[in-house]
Amino acid sequence: MAVHQKRAAVFVAEAENNADTESSDSELEFDEEDEIRLSEPSENAIYNRDGLLDKLEDISWPENVDWIHKLSLDVNQEQEVDANDDLARELVFYTQALEGTKEAFLKFQSVGCPFLTPAGYSGAMVKNDTHLEKVKDQLLAEKNRVEEAEERRKARENEKIAKEVEAQKLREKAKQEKEEKRSARQLQKERQESGLSGSEEDGDIGSADEDKSTFESDPSVGKAKDPTGKGKKEADKMRKNRDYRNSKHGLGRKKGMKKQSKTETTNDTIGGFKKSSFSKNKRRKA
Amino acid sequence: MKKIGKKRKHAETIPEPKKELVAEERPKRTLLGWKDKPVVNENEADVPTFRNKEKVLITSSRRINYRYRHLMLNLVSLLPHCKKDSKVESKETKGATLNELVELRSCSSCLFFECRKHKDLYLWMAKSPGGPSIKFLVNAVHTMEELKLTGNHLNGSRPLLSFTTNFDKDAHWKLIKEMITQIFGTPKDHRKQKPYYDHVFVFSIIDGHIWFRNYQISCPHTGADKIDRGGLEKMTLIEVGPRFCLNPIKIFGGSFGGPTLYENPLYISPNQIRALEKKKKSGKFAKKVKAKTRRRMHEMSNPLEQDEFADMWKE
Repeated sequence: MAVHQKRAAVFVAEAENNADTESSDSELEFDEEDEIRLSEPSENAIYNRDGLLDKLEDISWPENVDWIHKLSLDVNQEQEVDANDDLARELVFYTQALEGTKEAFLKFQSVGCPFLTPAGYSGAMVKNDTHLEKVKDQLLAEKNRVEEAEERRKARENEKIAKEVEAQKLREKAKQEKEEKRSARQLQKERQESGLSGSEEDGDIGSADEDKSTFESDPSVGKAKDPTGKGKKEADKMRKNRDYRNSKHGLGRKKGMKKQSKTETTNDTIGGFKKSSFSKNKRRKA
Repeated sequence: MKKIGKKRKHAETIPEPKKELVAEERPKRTLLGWKDKPVVNENEADVPTFRNKEKVLITSSRRINYRYRHLMLNLVSLLPHCKKDSKVESKETKGATLNELVELRSCSSCLFFECRKHKDLYLWMAKSPGGPSIKFLVNAVHTMEELKLTGNHLNGSRPLLSFTTNFDKDAHWKLIKEMITQIFGTPKDHRKQKPYYDHVFVFSIIDGHIWFRNYQISCPHTGADKIDRGGLEKMTLIEVGPRFCLNPIKIFGGSFGGPTLYENPLYISPNQIRALEKKKKSGKFAKKVKAKTRRRMHEMSNPLEQDEFADMWKE
């Protein structure tokens, strides 16, 4: 870089001696931070238009050369595109290429020479097949990933919906049960109140009826609910009786006399209460 | 039809009967000193046609990055009229030796990739022997091997070159456009070229940079030489790659040297950019100290009012 700058410096002097030198300063757009940097070099930026045009003439091909040699197309690009906006920029390039190609194809057609690859033509391609395989694999993998993500999301949603539906169903059922029980109890109450005198038979019948009704209304419920003919309240009352409780749990227990050292308990687990298979009872009963 | 003697370096071809347009007989390399030679044949009967005998030499400097090396190889595969040469030593990246190399390989232009500090890539486009040369800074490089660039085209088919009209706005753009057309366009009757056109190079100027894209043309067609309206509408382009962005730095009058014809005023070398960034970072502490003193001065000059509730919670 330094060498070229030196050269440039040398030839700047030379160029400035020429009458043709012009310096450009008009085509500058400044950012605030760049302003300091650019204002100085811009003043001595060389722009030798005549020299450039001279060289252009030197190297360019003769004027009446067929377009088919050059194959160059000029496409109009009006709108200003920000270089940093990737999508817009690529779109601009794409449209430029598309327009150019269409123009070119029309020109080819008018000239009449073959320009499109025939169907069965096979020739060496710029990228070889193994590379294209990789590209294809990657594309497929990406597509699969996207699809799987979709499927998973759908499955999740379906599950949620299914759960909700089930919960709904259960709630409905519970409601129904409640309703039925309430109505059954009501019926029983009415019956009791109305038929107090001849209650046995009626009661039996009523209880039989009750029995049937309760049995019918909860076909799915098992033995958890009381299968006995007694009503719920009566059953509760009975449960709180002293006799019932005694029958179940014995006559009561001593308050704090669970653990005691007695003759019987002397040899209880000498080594500790934790029983392991490898423990040896060191002092066993002889 | 007289055949012209072998002294001339340019062999003239027998005019093809099909061609109607005829180019005036003119030696292509005007800088070899034949510009002023009086034109001999002026009758249209047997004027030989123009032949594009462009050959591009593609080389790089040593210590080039892998990415840039792949870019160079991609370009080698894209241009069938190129000759790839081995790396040149760093001492020889100036002027004279490169010119000699180009002459040795009998090429008419050169694309030289110069990589500095393993980070920055400069591209020289030069026309030999006395043509202008342009130095670019290359950014935004994507090679053909990237898996997102899925297109493919025939190896050796001639590219269509699509330029924006910006290129005709100013002298230096015109020169750049002409050089690009000559270097990137495959000669018509090259022995390695395929006669079909299935890809297009796009050069456009955005923000003072030249952006390069390469697309494969795919359109449904039946015959090899005609296409109907419907087919044209359904044409799609698939990107083949590579991609890069050129920032012109300077245009020189000679090949790899010579008088500077154009300097880009908006160009900042990457070294300067890096230096400026470092400077910004290094100034943090100084800025902090300055801010502190400023705050103190401000406080001193604008004293606060007495706070009524200051003594409220005092024991």
